[in-house]
Amino acid sequence: MIDRSDDIIIKTIARIFVPFIQLYALYVIMHGHYSPGGGFQGGVILGASLALLLITHGYDEIKRRIPEGVIILLGSVGVLIYAGIGLTCLLLGGNYLDYGQLSVILHVDPAHARSLGILGVELGVGFTVMAIMYSIFFDIATGGILPEDQKREEKVKREG
Amino acid sequence: MSEFFVAVGLGLCLLVFLVLYRVIFGPGVFNRIAAISAIGTKTLIILLVLGYVYGRVDMFIDISMVYALLNFIGCVAAAKYLETER
Repeated sequence: MIDRSDDIIIKTIARIFVPFIQLYALYVIMHGHYSPGGGFQGGVILGASLALLLITHGYDEIKRRIPEGVIILLGSVGVLIYAGIGLTCLLLGGNYLDYGQLSVILHVDPAHARSLGILGVELGVGFTVMAIMYSIFFDIATGGILPEDQKREEKVKREG
Repeated sequence: MSEFFVAVGLGLCLLVFLVLYRVIFGPGVFNRIAAISAIGTKTLIILLVLGYVYGRVDMFIDISMVYALLNFIGCVAAAKYLETER
């Protein structure tokens, strides 16, 4: 499932499509207040774009562009953003995720602070969902066995 | 005008069941993939028609675009699965 595809049509289409898919995902995240969508949905679309890249361009190239550490880091950073904004509100004297309190730091009126705060939380959710969606897809596609592990095992079997 | 769109949506729903027959009993995998893709396209149009019924097409266009996108990616994934299973 994660082998490199030899078909030039599907590779070219994917290469052209992926930036637009990611732009649309950012639109879904940013425009979540006014239209259907939000952090989770936008994150799923971002994860789908990464899955499309993985299907078409193969594991080796994608590992070079998006290392596994970056995916894990992004998933954790998203949770950090979410919890950090929540705890900042708590430290400023409000409830957890009470974005109105952020107006002291951001120097805007509470209504704007609420809008900005929820945008930050949505960004955090989007990052985490993207990373976890990609990771789940990757684990299902490989069965949890990485290609380099397989090669190493074969090497050990051949030598021993 | 709303009745017209409701009628169109219901007609498309009936057509989805006709295509569903191909998905379940269709001979071979290629028939099934083509039928699933057709169902996805029909669902997209049903979503847009629903948008006209509720008078909020701008909202439903966002949803239908995501649906078309995921349909495309699902189709590519199914084709890839067939390629590797051969």
